[in-house]
Amino acid sequence: MQPTIVKIDLQRCINCSLCRRACPTEAINFFSTGHRTHIVEPKDCIGCDLCVQVCPVDCIHEDTDYVVDPGELAIAREKARAWAKRQHWIKVQRQQRATAAIGAVSARNGGGSNGRHA
Amino acid sequence: MTSKLADHITTLPSRREPPYNPALLLDDEGKAKLAEKIGDADNYDLVQLREMVQTDPDNVEFKKALISGIASAEYAGVDAFSRKVCQWQDWDVPWSLIMAIARQTWDEVRHAQLATGVLESYGGYIGEYPDTLAGGAPPPAVTGGAGVGVPEGIMNDPVITLSAVNVSLEGGALRLFEETSKLGERIGDDLLEECYDYNWADEVTHAMIGDYFVKALCEDNPEAERKALRAHGMFEFARTRLGDEQTQELKEFFAEEIGRATTALGGQTSNGSYH
Repeated sequence: MQPTIVKIDLQRCINCSLCRRACPTEAINFFSTGHRTHIVEPKDCIGCDLCVQVCPVDCIHEDTDYVVDPGELAIAREKARAWAKRQHWIKVQRQQRATAAIGAVSARNGGGSNGRHA
Repeated sequence: MTSKLADHITTLPSRREPPYNPALLLDDEGKAKLAEKIGDADNYDLVQLREMVQTDPDNVEFKKALISGIASAEYAGVDAFSRKVCQWQDWDVPWSLIMAIARQTWDEVRHAQLATGVLESYGGYIGEYPDTLAGGAPPPAVTGGAGVGVPEGIMNDPVITLSAVNVSLEGGALRLFEETSKLGERIGDDLLEECYDYNWADEVTHAMIGDYFVKALCEDNPEAERKALRAHGMFEFARTRLGDEQTQELKEFFAEEIGRATTALGGQTSNGSYH
């Protein structure tokens, strides 16, 4: 099944960059557009919908005119997989630090209240 | 001859009671105290603290640390934006921009109040944890030049301020508030969930205000638009989660800017020589 590629309505976009930060394939350009405009590079879009979900002004919509090239899509999906692995690794690191912090606080308190509500 | 507040506001220090205690300036004793509460002083990071609250929602110190860090930025927002309301009155900017920033200042006051209230609901208080930001004045006025305030220059040009703070920085705050609200939902903390959903809505408006006025101030002025992009880019570089291609895009943008500047200077390089 072909994904639905998206485009940004520049009239409504507030340039907050949340879509750029959420995009797993870095398909959304800003600084290379020559203007203060967020533009989706359609060949890099996998239609994952993450940008649509985070947009606070609902200005990202389907680009029904774009014809997806299967080869480009395969490359973009590979980038997304690598991104997902990186995100997972970052999440695991944070969880490990959190667990270590809980252990350290508990040890300092002699296994006592551990900062908990009474 | 009278001296207006706007004439000397840049030299006025940021003050708060209790006084600011920037995390960046903590001594070994301060770091040790912080580590006693949250395991390691390096854990005093809002993303990491969210993870810790999620992992151990009953640990009230983790929650207090998280909200203290957010509250500190809100107090800085009150300080920084109120300075602009005062400073920009004599500048060539639309009166509606001054009104919008006055509204934003009030929003920051409310956010500071809300953060303080959430903190108090956990039994905490402002000043218990160190500050992530030390007010909104340029660094020397607060800390003797230690560089933990708002970088000098950012608050002195409407295009730069709006692009860097309202659009880029507050755009990032959207994610912070959304994630904090979701955290509240996940751990069954209604106050946290609703407070930061409320703040999130205000941040959308702040980003909108910034974008609207940057567009207005840069209309038919490509140089001003480049300045806005540079300001946005400087803050973007400070982000920790830039992807490889986003980093490359920024590098190319700034390389192009350097090229433009060099051309404008007639080929003069930074060491003063000429091609």
